[in-house]
Amino acid sequence: MKKSTVLRYLFLAVFNSFIVYAVPLTITFESWFLLSLILIIGLLVNIVYFSDRFLPMKWILPGMIFLISFVVFPAVYNTFVSFTNWSTGHILTKSQAVNILESRTFTPEDQQGIEFDLYVFQDESFEFYYLADIDEQNILFGKAVTNENILDSNFAQHEPSFKQNGEIFPPDGFNLLTGKDQIANSTTLQELSLVIDKNTRAQLFKISVFGASTGLLSSTSQLYTFDESTDSITNNSTNTTCLAEIDNFVCNGKEIDPGWRVFVGFDNYQKLFSNQRIRGPLSLVTKWTFQFAFVTVLLAFSVGLFLSLVLNKENLKFQRIYRAIFILPYAIPAFVSVLVWKGLLNPDYGVINTWLSPIYEILEIEPIQWLKTKESARSAVLLVNTWLGFPYMFLITTGALQSIPKNLIEAAKVDGASSLQTFWRITFPLLMVSISPLLIGSFAFNFNNFTLIFLLSGGGPPVIGSEVAVGWTDILISFSYKLAISGGRGNLFGLASTVSIIIFALVLLISAVSFRYTKRLERIYGNI
Amino acid sequence: MGTFRFNIWFKEFGWRHIVALIFVIFAIYPILYVLTNSFADFANLTNSKLIPDSLTLKHYKLLSGNPLVPYSDWLYNTYKISIIAAFFNVFLGTLAAYAFSRLQFKGRRASLLTLVIVQMFPSFLAFVAIYLLFFQISDVIPIMGLGTHFGLILVYLGGSIGFNSWLIKGFMDTISPSLDEAAKVDGASEFQIFSKIIAPLTRPILIVIFVITFIGIYSDYILAAIFLKDKNLWTVAVGINTVFVDDFNADWGVIAASSVIAATPIAMLFIFFQKQITGGLTAGSVKG
Repeated sequence: MKKSTVLRYLFLAVFNSFIVYAVPLTITFESWFLLSLILIIGLLVNIVYFSDRFLPMKWILPGMIFLISFVVFPAVYNTFVSFTNWSTGHILTKSQAVNILESRTFTPEDQQGIEFDLYVFQDESFEFYYLADIDEQNILFGKAVTNENILDSNFAQHEPSFKQNGEIFPPDGFNLLTGKDQIANSTTLQELSLVIDKNTRAQLFKISVFGASTGLLSSTSQLYTFDESTDSITNNSTNTTCLAEIDNFVCNGKEIDPGWRVFVGFDNYQKLFSNQRIRGPLSLVTKWTFQFAFVTVLLAFSVGLFLSLVLNKENLKFQRIYRAIFILPYAIPAFVSVLVWKGLLNPDYGVINTWLSPIYEILEIEPIQWLKTKESARSAVLLVNTWLGFPYMFLITTGALQSIPKNLIEAAKVDGASSLQTFWRITFPLLMVSISPLLIGSFAFNFNNFTLIFLLSGGGPPVIGSEVAVGWTDILISFSYKLAISGGRGNLFGLASTVSIIIFALVLLISAVSFRYTKRLERIYGNI
Repeated sequence: MGTFRFNIWFKEFGWRHIVALIFVIFAIYPILYVLTNSFADFANLTNSKLIPDSLTLKHYKLLSGNPLVPYSDWLYNTYKISIIAAFFNVFLGTLAAYAFSRLQFKGRRASLLTLVIVQMFPSFLAFVAIYLLFFQISDVIPIMGLGTHFGLILVYLGGSIGFNSWLIKGFMDTISPSLDEAAKVDGASEFQIFSKIIAPLTRPILIVIFVITFIGIYSDYILAAIFLKDKNLWTVAVGINTVFVDDFNADWGVIAASSVIAATPIAMLFIFFQKQITGGLTAGSVKG
């Protein structure tokens, strides 16, 4: 066999053992989507690399695995999530939720508050042991354990020999702790309990320096029992039966947390489009997203074009220096520029309000509270994005201007056109032919310019009185982010992914428009 | 006579200089401001000004060895993630591009078109699904789950590999096929043709694409913010935008210094590769 074949099979062996390791785990955790992703990838890899055919796929597949797993698959998964109620309180599958509920415990009333004498021992390796002197039949001795180890611990043993005539005789190797010793160790002792039987524990309740300390019995019973045949849980403390409704067990009209995730069909879409208190924010955000992307491109383009026209003059000195400086804002990562601008715009200490203070004084108005009111936040976002975006527009318009044939302009001049006429009738239309696809690209980019919005204004200032967290400068993607991650009102994954679906649809629309009205598709076909 | 000549000069050139100067100030003021302030010997934003009275390195010193602001860790994380992700992005993209450019197979055009259409949607649009997917991966394979660099790198790999292989393929097409045909006649294998002929000839564009991808990943905020919860594992973008939110006034010097450190290498790379980055290569914009 060739060396490359050996290597190939070796790789496949490692890869498949990884799959064999991962598949049972995904089943345990009920991660069905992850399981299907692993199976698809596993199948693809095995088909392509086991056989000697599919040569092109051998080259393409390594890269495509990542494209499929982390771009295509999440898009599909996102669609799936948008049809579920996935959110805080409904994160788990039903069986996981039942498991959690069944592990909850409570203390029955008749077991509360029984007090007795409790003695604390330490063995040679300084582990703690309790002796619970409950009555003559129950002189129970055993190791004291922390809460995590309760389930693994042995039950305490009845040891009548340890107590004779009211005196305590510790066995060999054990040391009886005095009250003072117990106080010194009280933080540790508080955490420990003696396990008496499956449901009952004894804990140190009061430390006494003069006599025996007091212990307290506490019983733990399973709070909920799940009955599969009736699909209900019974609350053993109140003896009520709680039926499973759509995504929660409901006891006397009260939902039990946690619930579980289920398909809810078009509920999220309906909520977004018909629930007044969510539809309001959504339409506000959508409108601003379009406004923001459009105005931002318009401003940056205007400034960029204006500058390239101004500098497009033969024999103008310092041209290169100007150009080099105009590029600088584009060269700095946006997350840094935004941070700096936040400092400059700071209403109390920032340099911009320092500059404007004479104007404030003349007009006798309060200083602008940058980023804290709707108008100032929106202007600030547009100002900063113009600063970030005009260099790119300057570069591309300069390039386009220089590629317009000079004789066209000369001919217009000879025919007696004014320079304004020449610009609007000849230069500008020619410019737009090559620039418009880039403008649409820039529009699409700013449509999802999360970094700028989220880091500069955080989407704020907040819109008062809406049901979901939303601000006046939020664009769709930051709105979705707040719903899912940082809105402070839980993780509404289902609703957030529905907003993402809307963004997908809009991006598709923008791209379709750009394909229709530009030659971009032909350029792509040219490359294929 | 002198004023007449000045008027002509002004009409032709002078006003252009004035306009240009106004925008030079607009473009450069924030940059100069943060640059000088990072060395300035004053404590806070309130008394900051463009030209400081005296200089100091104390803000930079504050950035090293401060457990609350583990800036050097963030820098290391950012470079590690960006370099690894950009490298594999270009490497795997090149392999795919070779097949698209040199091998004939059914569905070639269709798959290329699919690539371009898929990459029209930035990968972070499905951030909810990415988050939930990795939430589950954390249970199954903890080393690549949420909160790990490994997982984040995987996501970045998917993010632009399709677009990159499409670009590289376009460049490979310009290399004459007669070269590899000659090699084939001499008995070279497919892999030898790739590694000895095509890859070396494609190197200039690979470097440019590496740089673009590197800058893109370096500047990412949203995916890193979703993924990384542990302060010591943050990238610079997440770190400086999370730590410096409450007290701009007192932190201003340190904010300036950390901004300068984060931005300088990227700005230098960008200026060095500016022609290639903006020369129609990106057909849109890699960054704001």
